Amino acid sequence: MKLLPKDMYGELENVLGENNISQEPGVLDGYAWQPIFSLTAQKWIPRPAAVALPETTEDVQAIVKICNKYGVKFKAHSTGWAAWGGPSEEGELQIDLRRMNKIIELDEKNKYAVVEPYVCCGQLQAEAMKVGLNCHIIGAGPNTSILASTTSGWGYGGTGLSTGYGGRNPLGVEWVLPDGEVLKLGSPGCNAGWFSGDGPGPGLRGIMRGFSGTQGSLGVFTKCAIKLYPWYGPKEPKVDGVLMDVQTEVPETEKMFWIVAPSFEKFADLAYKIGNAEIAYWFCRSPLNAGIDLFIPRAGDRIFESKALRTMFKAFEHLGVALLSSESKREVEYQEKVLRKITLETGCILLDLTKTPGYGFWWWTMGVRSILTALTFRAGGDFLTSYGSPMEYDNAIKQAEVAMKVKQKFIDEDYFKDDMSDIGWGGIYEGTANWGHCETAAMFDRRDGRAEGRQRYLEESAESTVEHTLGLGLSNLPPGAWKIYGPKLFNYHLWQAKIKKAFDPNSTGDEEWYVPSIDEIQT
Amino acid sequence: MSRLAALKNDMEGCSRCSLCKWIPMAQIKSWRFAKVCPSVDRYNFHAFSGGGKMIIANSILEGRSELNEAISEIIYKCQLCGACQVSCQAYRDDIDLADVLLALRAKCVEEGLILPEHQFMIDSMKREDNTLGMQKCDRGKWADGLDLVDVNTQEVDVLFHAGCRFSYDEDLRDSVRNWVVLLRNSGADVGIAGKEEACCGGRAFEIGYQGEMRNYAEDMASRVRASGAKLLVTPCSDCYYTFKYLYPKNGLDLGVKILHTTEYADSLIKENKLRPKKNVPMRVTYHDPCHLGRRGEIYKSGWSGDNKLLRPVKFKQTGNMGIFDPPRNIINSIPGMDFVEMERIREYSWCCGAGGGVYEAYPEFASWTAKDRIVEAKATGAEAIVTACPWCERVFNDEIEESGEDMKVYDVIDILAMSMEGK
Amino acid sequence: MGNKENIARIVGNDRIITDKEALERYGSDSSFVLGEVPEFIVKLRNLEEVQKLVMLANEDGFALIPCSSQGRRFKGDTVPGVPGAVIADLSEMKSIVRIDKRNKVAMIEPGVTFGDLQAAVEKEGLRVEMPLHPKKTKSVVASLLDREPTTGPKYNWDATDPLGCLELIFGNGEMFRTGNAAGPGTLEEQWAAGQAQKMPMGPAQTDIARLIQGSQGAFAIATWATIKLELMHKIRKGFFVAGQSPDELIDFTYKILWRKIPDLCLILNGADLAAIYGKDSTDMPPWVLIYSISGLDHFPEERVRYLEDDLGEIAREFAVTPTQHIEGISAIKLMDVICRPSDEPFWKLRLKGGCVDLFFLTTLDRTSEFIEVMDIQIAEYGLPKENLGIYIQPIRHGTGCHIEFSLMYDPENSEETERVKALLNSASRACIDKGGFFSRPYGAWADMIYKKCPDTANALKKMKDIFDPNGILNPGKLCFGKGVRA
Repeated sequence: MKLLPKDMYGELENVLGENNISQEPGVLDGYAWQPIFSLTAQKWIPRPAAVALPETTEDVQAIVKICNKYGVKFKAHSTGWAAWGGPSEEGELQIDLRRMNKIIELDEKNKYAVVEPYVCCGQLQAEAMKVGLNCHIIGAGPNTSILASTTSGWGYGGTGLSTGYGGRNPLGVEWVLPDGEVLKLGSPGCNAGWFSGDGPGPGLRGIMRGFSGTQGSLGVFTKCAIKLYPWYGPKEPKVDGVLMDVQTEVPETEKMFWIVAPSFEKFADLAYKIGNAEIAYWFCRSPLNAGIDLFIPRAGDRIFESKALRTMFKAFEHLGVALLSSESKREVEYQEKVLRKITLETGCILLDLTKTPGYGFWWWTMGVRSILTALTFRAGGDFLTSYGSPMEYDNAIKQAEVAMKVKQKFIDEDYFKDDMSDIGWGGIYEGTANWGHCETAAMFDRRDGRAEGRQRYLEESAESTVEHTLGLGLSNLPPGAWKIYGPKLFNYHLWQAKIKKAFDPNSTGDEEWYVPSIDEIQT
Repeated sequence: MSRLAALKNDMEGCSRCSLCKWIPMAQIKSWRFAKVCPSVDRYNFHAFSGGGKMIIANSILEGRSELNEAISEIIYKCQLCGACQVSCQAYRDDIDLADVLLALRAKCVEEGLILPEHQFMIDSMKREDNTLGMQKCDRGKWADGLDLVDVNTQEVDVLFHAGCRFSYDEDLRDSVRNWVVLLRNSGADVGIAGKEEACCGGRAFEIGYQGEMRNYAEDMASRVRASGAKLLVTPCSDCYYTFKYLYPKNGLDLGVKILHTTEYADSLIKENKLRPKKNVPMRVTYHDPCHLGRRGEIYKSGWSGDNKLLRPVKFKQTGNMGIFDPPRNIINSIPGMDFVEMERIREYSWCCGAGGGVYEAYPEFASWTAKDRIVEAKATGAEAIVTACPWCERVFNDEIEESGEDMKVYDVIDILAMSMEGK
Repeated sequence: MGNKENIARIVGNDRIITDKEALERYGSDSSFVLGEVPEFIVKLRNLEEVQKLVMLANEDGFALIPCSSQGRRFKGDTVPGVPGAVIADLSEMKSIVRIDKRNKVAMIEPGVTFGDLQAAVEKEGLRVEMPLHPKKTKSVVASLLDREPTTGPKYNWDATDPLGCLELIFGNGEMFRTGNAAGPGTLEEQWAAGQAQKMPMGPAQTDIARLIQGSQGAFAIATWATIKLELMHKIRKGFFVAGQSPDELIDFTYKILWRKIPDLCLILNGADLAAIYGKDSTDMPPWVLIYSISGLDHFPEERVRYLEDDLGEIAREFAVTPTQHIEGISAIKLMDVICRPSDEPFWKLRLKGGCVDLFFLTTLDRTSEFIEVMDIQIAEYGLPKENLGIYIQPIRHGTGCHIEFSLMYDPENSEETERVKALLNSASRACIDKGGFFSRPYGAWADMIYKKCPDTANALKKMKDIFDPNGILNPGKLCFGKGVRA
């Protein structure tokens, strides 16, 4: 096991106190177990040399400066779910931002909140709802860090039609750069509050992230102002149950519908029309067959063996879920009328969920709190996801179609659970913008040790995005993807590598999930 | 295969989602009261969480790290409250987190990594049949003057098992006395074992002495048999959990129906045999004891196998079949009572801080945990926190005395007694 | 300094302007920025010429100032900061490359004006979200790159909106495309796959477009941009709410924005309203909120009806009285005016012949504070109140607002001009000190604001070294030096 340089640990201890730094192997392994998106056959990712728990921005700065002094790489994480949260090689310092967990400000009128890294989406949503606001919760669920997904991750979420995309929701940001200096993006840098993230002049948010973030490779984000959106539902809903047993009363101004389209193309038409009509709080694709492995995984094997049942589920493949929500009954009535009209125009079928028993369950867990995605672990204990490039919606849907064919081959080879392949999930974002995403997950049990096949799937899915012109998407996720994609996309990787060098001259920020410094690429 | 090794698949299933640190996501109502694991909340390293301890276990099994004093401290700084399992099993079918935590305790004892405070408890149990270092001969003194039937000399229908804490803690004396009197006054043919009552052994199991519990279980079984009782009633949540869950999980059957006193009282109220009449104008909140609530859920036997992905959901110990409603029904039956719920309740309740040997070994941590609960109780506007476990009551009272906080602590029987005309 | 022969090899002699008057028009503009008269104006036609010119500038070491708009300029960003500069005039690159009706996006070259674009997209049943009554010759691409606020906060999700993607030549001569235009695939392949270069993020982990916006041409030259469009309304209704102060309007504004009701939504003071209409500001209410509601493709009348009903309830809640007419002005007619480019003379110049703007970002609830500051400032410097136009534009769904003070003055009056110059300086400092966020720091604002955020300036200089290592693009702007290297 690689330890920190002798004096470095002592310096960190002086900064943080002995209770907030550890190099105990058992403790460190808590950061080396990162099965999500750890795509190699290894179960563990590299163990850090030590883990540090800062409480303040000054602590973070001190840690980063010490890393620079000793030439030790670091990787910071918030909730730390997935391999990109941990080090890519032994001997690095893990920074766990758990102690930085406050909501610093919640501005009701101007619709933003300033948060530290360890505020989870569920916490922020609960506080925001009390004042008639909502935050964007990513598909991974409300247990994720809102700051992390906004500054450093992707930002897909089922409510995107109303709550945008994570990467477009940051306002002011406080950022400890890889050299330990602090950069404040936007208005906080000029002591003008937190409400604006771009400028003065060029938007430096552009180096913080693009459609995806650098996964902690360019330093540590210690505060972020997050744009919030209107919430028209109950401010403090009374919910019983923990997940599958959730029950709640739903106001009549919150109406949820399933709309079933006959084809990929018609589904896209439906999505375009919904966006253009400026209706719905959100609209998201969610094939019915996807629900089997989420809700009754043990029955999944039996169900999918039945040709008759497969046919039935196929009829519900292009299922979209729409939520209408408003403070105004008139508005919901109007929107429902439009939705019904659009359903007819596109040859779809509409099912009114509000009349079903258990409606409260769907509304709360799927529609509002975005909890259900984590159920993807039930079937096999693990899953991966791919495609899902944010695109004009025709292309987004095409990704689901292509994904279905590629994934099927790997289902046939038993690398993934048979779920009828197309479980393409994703919706339209930002109101009338007509772009959205559709990612296709796949379930498996990583304990079977067959990681090689899943790696191959990801490679093949990446190749297919190039072949069919489907953008980058989640296929640019694995480390080193820049080697394949960079040269095809105007050498973006070289620009990023120059940025990396400029802000991280000592290459102290772990670059595995971003790009290395330009010096390393060019040697 | 060792107990720990048998759970390797559970450990390997962990996705590191950290849901074990939070109350179930569906229930988060505020920033302040969203967390559910006192250990990781206090000590922050991931290793302290339920999932983190599973990773430690896996790391030890794979020889990546060793079980040493520092790691044993992480394992022991845990009330074994079970909240992590509830949150995990909201999603996952194939991970029994609580089993891993208990197996880790046993492993610590096997390796000789024993806390002196825990050693004290075990020695006290062996010598004096209680965990508190008290004398066995004093165990029955709590019932002095009540003239209760002694089951050592006479058979009864209902055996009342006070438990160690209620037997010896003088501050809680009124509560345990009122409980047994309530049973008697309801017409139950109830008796006690007095100084012959012994520890249920549950705490021994929790601190890693799994074999010791078996001794006490067998002792308990023979006492129950000898008493002739068809029903065993206890006011202690820890004992309740031990009887309902730990014993059957370890193949031990007492052969009688088991009720907590709140269940008993609730049924009396439903049958109209108990009528709280006096007005008790008080705003109260109720604290779900871990061992009565989520951990008090009956052991769901009937499935075995290697692949828990194939285990039907009905065999998951999700905690939702614990005892939550009877105490609430009792509170709601009392005229004038203004009952307000905290945010973290039922199977996702925040622990009082006392369990798992923490009260004994890490009193500052126990106190810190209790304080968080009292803050939560205060946030409801309640004047009093009502609960149904002597360990919760002890640690809350200790913390309130220390901090000077303006909050009363009652057992359910205390407020029930206030409402009964006469006693 | 640029060599004419070398430049002529790229564009041809007849595309190089050396006329003294034409050059002098670039040496200054209606801002108070002092600069240099350029050496040449080069009229560019396509990507290839742009790229070659940029590479030549790197080889020969001369400054290039990209400029897409024609006519009078107001911000000083195209006034060369160094001698021997060459104006890269993109105003004749006027192609509307593509309008994608389904995806509601247009791909345009830099010389396309709002009027050009609006006429073209209206034929497709679409409309342009545009800034308030822009000048006729204003380039759409320039407006997008300037991050000019548009009048519909509901459609403005992020600071970059309504910009989609960009095609760029960086200061080092390399070509790039941003957003999903970057690929994989050629533009034609992307179109065939249903893409339309509308999605602005990326590629990958960097939003280059975000860096280019606000850079005043100091990082790259854009050769096309895509702009997201909206559906043309089937029906539209306009409303005014008048008030004695903005405070009377702000809470109502917050609420209707929270409800996502209005399409167009902005606040003007009487002076600005008068300037637009060519009326006397004393006839105008001191403040007016202007907003619209609309019916789209489905049940348009019903939509307008329920929105009016809801607005009526909200208005009663906030004790305001929306009307469709004010002082003889119809709201819908006003919108027709302000949602189109201004006729000549540009509306801000109609009162006195000259105008200089002071603008920055803040939040709606703070606008009164800044108005108070300005009231003190104009009193101190003797600018009559009726010469101060004030425009408040909620942005990003109302999470912030652009506030713009238009100081209208007679440029022929040198004393008045000097006073206004001093006023601008003083008022800018006062507003910065009060916490106004000068996100678009033109002219003297650059020094003022970057003093407040040296960390940002340092980071931007690093970007400049990456994208324009020889410093040939618009040197001396923002926080960048004037040195040009060959």
